[in-house]
Amino acid sequence: MFKKILLATSGAPSTFGAARVAFDMAKRYGAEVVVFHVMGVPTKAYSQVVNDVRTGEEIEVDDEYRAWVEEELKSTFEKQIESVQYAKIVTTTGVPSREILRAARSEDADLIVMGASSGDSSAYRKGYPGSTLQRVAKAARCPVMTVHRETASYWGGFGNIVFATDFSKQADSAFRFALNSARELDCDLTLFHALDISGKVLDQNAIEDRLIAARARIRAAYVPLMGDFKNFDIEVWEGVPYVEIVKIARERSADLIVLAHHSLELDPEKARIGSTMEQVILRAGCPVVSVSKPDKV
Amino acid sequence: MSKKILIVDDDQEIRSYLSELLGDNGYATVTANDGAEAVEIAKAEQPDLITLDLEMPNEWGPRFYRKISQDDALKRTPVVVISGLNAIQYAIPKAIASLTKPFEPAQLLKIVKDAIG
Repeated sequence: MFKKILLATSGAPSTFGAARVAFDMAKRYGAEVVVFHVMGVPTKAYSQVVNDVRTGEEIEVDDEYRAWVEEELKSTFEKQIESVQYAKIVTTTGVPSREILRAARSEDADLIVMGASSGDSSAYRKGYPGSTLQRVAKAARCPVMTVHRETASYWGGFGNIVFATDFSKQADSAFRFALNSARELDCDLTLFHALDISGKVLDQNAIEDRLIAARARIRAAYVPLMGDFKNFDIEVWEGVPYVEIVKIARERSADLIVLAHHSLELDPEKARIGSTMEQVILRAGCPVVSVSKPDKV
Repeated sequence: MSKKILIVDDDQEIRSYLSELLGDNGYATVTANDGAEAVEIAKAEQPDLITLDLEMPNEWGPRFYRKISQDDALKRTPVVVISGLNAIQYAIPKAIASLTKPFEPAQLLKIVKDAIG
């Protein structure tokens, strides 16, 4: 299911965690890695002069510059490129989010892997760190995997997947991705719902009734779709959703969290990732996959 | 009877060094060169403490830890992480200590002594 992985990288250390995961997955599951880098944003349409994505300096993109950037990427990821069977480097210019989406489409990628933000190197761009991820996660037709904290990311293969659901339509696509991954990679799967009680004072019986109802709802919604897959648990915890998702992932030593991407805003240029997703991405100790569309799950 | 320590590391040099260091200080040791082998050895040997590397071929440290934490006989065995990776304290939050290679032998011995005597 992961035949082609698009690693979207600025080449900066903030993307090394993503690279580590992308190459590890490729090695384990025989996938191809496309190392994709957007060199800069054209100062005018079709201009050869771009603002470098990392430094913000104006640079004329000619063959020499392009070759230099490719060489830099090659030496940055040298050992990892050698460790996989198929890898190629693709560079381009343009607005990063649009180019990543375009590349994922034209390469027919099964998964986009990227860091959560470019750290402090995004100073030149207006907006907030992570705007590229937000736009890509919202509009991508394939699942988008984010690796933010390299420290604990994907320690040598997937063994336990946490799928967090809010019972939305998008969550159905995320569930299919989680189930297919668990089945194909022979993982345990935890179906999880965080009952949001933040800012509320509820009677304990009311909370526990709702926990029971949510468990029954998970069972009714997802278990009939699982066929002969039996390695699953159902958990519902109450609290602040993002905290509970991060907690269960830590408790279960999960290697992967799968969530639906959410936003009421339909325009991908304006949409921000739902705050639960955003917080989970920033805090989880393992890769987080957001699924927005049903196409590639 | 001396306490038994399982050393899990893919590096032969580190395994010998730790065996010698811990052996000289009165502990019995057994070794495993990756997480998959370590699960079998841990079940057979029931060690009193485990030193665990994180990055190893085949089965990594955190996955080994997950497996032993599901085993009733092993889930309370103290684990000391010894690895060269960054920010290793987050990889196995329940480990009793995380040491970055190269580490001070006296520091490891103190951790072991405090944990199992």
